[in-house]
Amino acid sequence: MSGAGLIGVGILGAVAPALPGIVAKTKSVLTGRRGPPVLQLYADLGKLLRKGSVYSRTTTWVFRAGPVVVLVTLAVAALLLPLDGREAPARFTGDLVAFAGLLALGRFALVLAGLDTGSSFEGLGASREVTIASFAEPTLFLCFIALVLATGDLSLSGMLGTPLAAAWPRAGASLSLVGISLFVLLLAENSRVPVDDPATHLELTMIHEVIVLDHGGPDLALILYSSALKLALFGVLVVAVFVPRAGFGGPAALALLFAGLGVVAVAVGVVESIMARLRLARVPQLLVGAGTLALFATILQVG
Amino acid sequence: MTLVALGLALIVLAGLTAAALARRPAVGEMVFRILFGAGCTLGALPALAVLAGDTVPDVGLASATPFGPWVFGLDALSAVFLLAVLSVGAACAFYGLAYLAHERAHRAVGLAHLLLAVLVATLALVVVARAALPFLIAWEGMAVAAYLLVVFEHERREVRRAGGIYVVATHVGTLLLFALFAIWAGGGSDLSFAALAAHPPFSAGRGAMILVVALIAFGLKAGAVPFHFWLPEAHAAAPAHVSALMSGVVIKMGIYGLLRTIVLFGTPPPWWGWVLLALGAVSGILGVVWALAQHDLKRLLAFHSVENIGIILLGVGAGALGVTYGHPLIAVLGFAGAALHTLNHALFKSLLFLGAGSVIHATGTREIDRLGGLAPRMPWTAVTFLVGSAAIVGLPPLNGFVSEWVVYQSLLRGASAGGAVQLVGLAAVVLAFIGALALACFAKVVGVLYLGTPRHALATEPREATRAMIRPVVGLAAACVVVGLAPIAVVPAALRIGSLVAALPLQADVAAGPATAFTVGLALSLLVAWALYVAFGRGRQRRETVTWACGYPAVTPRMAYTASSFAAPLLGVFRSFSGVRTRRTPDAFSTHAIDPVLDSVLLPAWRGARAAAAWVRRVQRGGLSRYLLLVGAAVVASLLYLLVAGRNP
Repeated sequence: MSGAGLIGVGILGAVAPALPGIVAKTKSVLTGRRGPPVLQLYADLGKLLRKGSVYSRTTTWVFRAGPVVVLVTLAVAALLLPLDGREAPARFTGDLVAFAGLLALGRFALVLAGLDTGSSFEGLGASREVTIASFAEPTLFLCFIALVLATGDLSLSGMLGTPLAAAWPRAGASLSLVGISLFVLLLAENSRVPVDDPATHLELTMIHEVIVLDHGGPDLALILYSSALKLALFGVLVVAVFVPRAGFGGPAALALLFAGLGVVAVAVGVVESIMARLRLARVPQLLVGAGTLALFATILQVG
Repeated sequence: MTLVALGLALIVLAGLTAAALARRPAVGEMVFRILFGAGCTLGALPALAVLAGDTVPDVGLASATPFGPWVFGLDALSAVFLLAVLSVGAACAFYGLAYLAHERAHRAVGLAHLLLAVLVATLALVVVARAALPFLIAWEGMAVAAYLLVVFEHERREVRRAGGIYVVATHVGTLLLFALFAIWAGGGSDLSFAALAAHPPFSAGRGAMILVVALIAFGLKAGAVPFHFWLPEAHAAAPAHVSALMSGVVIKMGIYGLLRTIVLFGTPPPWWGWVLLALGAVSGILGVVWALAQHDLKRLLAFHSVENIGIILLGVGAGALGVTYGHPLIAVLGFAGAALHTLNHALFKSLLFLGAGSVIHATGTREIDRLGGLAPRMPWTAVTFLVGSAAIVGLPPLNGFVSEWVVYQSLLRGASAGGAVQLVGLAAVVLAFIGALALACFAKVVGVLYLGTPRHALATEPREATRAMIRPVVGLAAACVVVGLAPIAVVPAALRIGSLVAALPLQADVAAGPATAFTVGLALSLLVAWALYVAFGRGRQRRETVTWACGYPAVTPRMAYTASSFAAPLLGVFRSFSGVRTRRTPDAFSTHAIDPVLDSVLLPAWRGARAAAAWVRRVQRGGLSRYLLLVGAAVVASLLYLLVAGRNP
């Protein structure tokens, strides 16, 4: 573990709640509203953490463990990403499988916490969440395989670090496709338009929001913070592919990363402003489409 | 080997005591427990030693035996299967004592214990046999013992049907094994494995025939699609501890057979590896899709065995391709992942089946849509089932994650290798798909079964299983956790097996498993975070109320989300081959699933064959005049044929 890398993870954890704020602000500006302040989520988290908890009598320890597991898995996953563009705080051969496994563990915990309430609303959200994830996970692996082919490295530090910068001149077209595919995954995994609409008012049309319908107080704070962190992690993947920063010094590379994250958040806001939510049955097609892009990226490098 | 022989003798003796002392079950079962446990421990010791790197000399029967010497041996490949047989066998046997206790009055329970002991002993013999004839004898003994156990509740019609399908399927497999050894030996009289391995190079055709026959024979036992049709029937019909043993261990004999075939055959041609990989992908995806469609708890778990056999076959296929194309790393990692996943699946699948047994025991139903909210009522069963579910889905830090990791490593190294073998990389995507679908399915099972509210009123309030039933399940769960937390303890042994099957040297510097620091670190972080969370919540205001239903006050259990509803979006995507039949009424939605292979192909074919036979039988009425007429007609027909044939030579 490197000290500088840990500092990077610390900063990422600190600024993550600003990302949903940037998305909301972008949407507000584009639709001619003033909108909530960019740092609104920090205030919400502070408020929720001071509150007490209300639990349904139906729930068990599974409900309370859900948010904790989600947060821990994302925090550990953050340790696997090379934030300075060179080396992650923790790396080992094949850690991309660990990254996917951690996301899956978090999802399993969240879905079970939702089902623990016994409400049809949560059941509905949970069912949609696992359906979408079933198509998102193979696409993530296709992206990873394209990166493995481009860099010849089996760890995230290599795939997204120094070897990636060297691969750009050779495999630029392929890597752009991977980046686009990862951006679609970011939208799907973080319940953004066109997959899910975080601003919707009807529980029946929600996915992520409806799973956590019964969470309140500190539990909801953990969930909201984890969502922001997950958005940041996928943002790091996208930025790492598009902007290899191996040539920069540590602080400059980190600064570039966070600027890139801001751009990604704005891009998400723009997508949300100009697109409508897809019909649920179309979402697998969107993800299979993103997977096809990643497959092309793979084939480009084989040929 | 002496220890293994002694252990097996003790296991059979334990069974005999249980059967002989059936009148005095307390004494009989106590003796059974002691002897069976001692036998499994004795047998497991040499297996562990071999996995740690020891070698054990083969032993042969002293007297003259038909078809070459009858040799028995224990190498790393046999050892891992022997370990699975004995550990899962012991857990299932102990569970069975408690599970069948209430049947003592009206069934031959002692006989069932004897059959289970025989099944475990023959399973162990299958993996240590080093000659065709003892292998076949053990194989057949295993099939018959398993059949008799499947039809334990023979007064139920569907149990007899399942037993019938099973016995036909397994005997087709045995017949093919006879053919396999006959083609392999090619008229030679020495059928010991050493002689078979020393075969002169096969012609391409004969080699292909051997590999195809091996694939079907062992595929039938393993339950790979499309040979899986007997599996969900038999596993659903058997008593829970028998299902656990069958799903956990018996079907793995098919995998053992395939791996042993590769050891004896040498380098397989490329197409065989690709066929294995394709079978693995198809079994994996269809297995989990069909599982999603099931609402019968045991059938669902049985289809997950098909899925996991698919994952194992992905490893075996990648391994075979690695051997063929000369990539030692892909080969060793593929076989190692397959072997390790075999052991891990034995642990968590038997755990899940035993847990399912406890649920069925407590509630009297296997329909998951009728259940719900069992977690507070059966806490131990719920926690262990949750561990097993997370393990089978391949979540860190549990054992399924470790073995899927090794398979992933093999597939990903295939992707980054050059040449045709690169296509193997796509199997990693298939594996990711299987994993995500399995997560959906087990979220459904755990969520509907244990969480939420009961969906129907049951005759009696479900109660936690007895201690005797919980103990073996907790043991299996502990094994899942230990293997998951300490990959460093098991992965080297798996690599040793991989290099044995691939006949390639072991590369010491390969980082094959997930870093132990990662798995332990994750577990510790989870524990610390939970402790912090509890500490944070202490002394804070906390209220209890009903679940928020968006302002709707009159919530009833009938509104709870069902398994049918939960799986509906995914099954909609797989509509064309999920075998789901939907039923909608104005106030209810339900689905049930058929098995596309069994119900749409095999049974219609069987009925067609029977109808054809009945039509032919119409000539056999027993009247002399009719027979004379037929004889006359046959003579005239032959004469006509000769005339025609004579004119046009």
